[in-house]
Amino acid sequence: MSQEFNIQEVAKLALIKLNPDEVKKLSKDLEIILSHVEALSKLKIDDSEVTIHPLGIDLTLREDEVENGLNHDESMSNAPEKQDGFFKVPPSME
Amino acid sequence: MTDLNKITIKEAHEGLKNKSFSAHELANHSFQIAAESESVLHAHLILMQDEALKSAQDTDKRVLKGDMLGLLDGIPLSIKDNLNLKGNGTTCSSKILSNYISPYDATVVKKLRENGTIFVGKTNLDEFAMGSSTENSAYGPTSNPWDPDYVPGGSSGGSAAVVSVGSALGSLGSDTGGSIRQPASFCGVVGFKPTYGSVSRFGLIAFASSLDQVGPFARTAEDAKIIYQAISGHDPKDATSLNIERKDINEGSSARIGVVKELMGEGIADNVKVEIERVIKLLEAEGNNVTEVSLPMTKMAISIYYLIAPAECSANLARFDGVRFGLRSGGNTSYEMSENTRAEGFGDEVKRRILLGTYALSAGYYDAYYGQALKARSQVINEFSEVFKEVDYLISPSTPSTAFKFGEKTSNPLEMYMSDLCTIPANLAGIPAISIPTGVDDLGLPYSVQLMSPELTDISLLNFSSYVEKIVGFNNSPTKWRKKP
Repeated sequence: MSQEFNIQEVAKLALIKLNPDEVKKLSKDLEIILSHVEALSKLKIDDSEVTIHPLGIDLTLREDEVENGLNHDESMSNAPEKQDGFFKVPPSME
Repeated sequence: MTDLNKITIKEAHEGLKNKSFSAHELANHSFQIAAESESVLHAHLILMQDEALKSAQDTDKRVLKGDMLGLLDGIPLSIKDNLNLKGNGTTCSSKILSNYISPYDATVVKKLRENGTIFVGKTNLDEFAMGSSTENSAYGPTSNPWDPDYVPGGSSGGSAAVVSVGSALGSLGSDTGGSIRQPASFCGVVGFKPTYGSVSRFGLIAFASSLDQVGPFARTAEDAKIIYQAISGHDPKDATSLNIERKDINEGSSARIGVVKELMGEGIADNVKVEIERVIKLLEAEGNNVTEVSLPMTKMAISIYYLIAPAECSANLARFDGVRFGLRSGGNTSYEMSENTRAEGFGDEVKRRILLGTYALSAGYYDAYYGQALKARSQVINEFSEVFKEVDYLISPSTPSTAFKFGEKTSNPLEMYMSDLCTIPANLAGIPAISIPTGVDDLGLPYSVQLMSPELTDISLLNFSSYVEKIVGFNNSPTKWRKKP
């Protein structure tokens, strides 16, 4: 594992704007946590299976049957901004 | 009239059936306790008195008509505020969902509603269920009823506190790494995390999908069983929901109980160890066969958990981008708007975990962090399977110490994470686990034991827990919350 950690890069990927105080505090916190989890890298478990569902069950999708779900208005009832039945957002490019 | 202050769900059901009191009186009593306790505890984020009293009248009509009354009909329960309850706010104790109104019921809420349950209110939690003290709520912390200077645990601190004082006879919480069992332990109530997949997660705002599980808080294991039976079962709306039969443990007249060696050593307070040993002696005196077992991978559990849970959280919380629901901040572009919304809407711990998870999943690090953690998780599961060939149940502390004071663990996140040392292994393995109160320490704060059992043996574990409760015989209630100004 690498200890290289550029918090600004990660924050950009995570879509969270950090202020200078947060950059300082969170960098320190994450370094502490990452050095703790470093112990895992020493385990010799290359051949082990990965666990997705702890009971080893395949994820199942329900039948695609029509049922009464939320209607359009209910689905949009929490929209911060809407227009003509659509979610309204600022432009994607300046 | 019956003393409603210490009444269990089972007793309340009998009382309603026998007309010793009405559902209206029972609900009123809950709101009276809420009125007395909320200014000290801040356990509920909202109270739903009007709706609740209306539902109580419906129960009373059924009683008058002579209808068969279900076990939860007319029973006042509270719901953790990360579960959708139609027409009410679901904030997850986050600023980002401060204005969100649920347009639908979570499956567990729907099931309780169909059972005639009375909803007292929605309870406080650590933001998005991330924390172990309820100090991370954007709406202020909850206090511990046994001593309001101490935390109630978390993340379901509100759900534990309301059952502890009796403003609800039971409640729902969610447990990703101990968020039901740890606050249950700190607040002296029963908290049960079911087998992963046995209770639907549909309508639970997701934190870490492969670990999250909804479960009950109650005064007794029998009450927890009543709630569990009402909310469990296959749900086609949750792809991880189980559609397989439960298993039973036939322990006969004496159970084989394993003491987890790794959870009785380093990191566990001496007084907690002494209490667990006291309970073990009581179990042995009853003829049970208690042996020490070793689960070496539990030492890695916190590391595994703090890669898997943040990784899943970073993906799940990507949906809070200011577009479709919740808070929206300003910005010249959609990208800027989302960046600002998330900066303003999320608290420190949530940001910390999203960043950690984003890093663990990012190109070049995925295999070393997330991939390795998923493999290590398989090792944890294998170890539990092997141990359960030798024993029926496992016993350990629920928490490394009794409740701690506000601010005691907020400066170093790792120290806070360590308070889930005993509870995380069961989440990684997907097995059922329960915390049962057993006594109080020198400061009057509750002690507890954790019991774990193989996957799908939830009912056996709950029945065995009732037996343990009887042997231990602890039935105290908190009083200090009443003395605070």
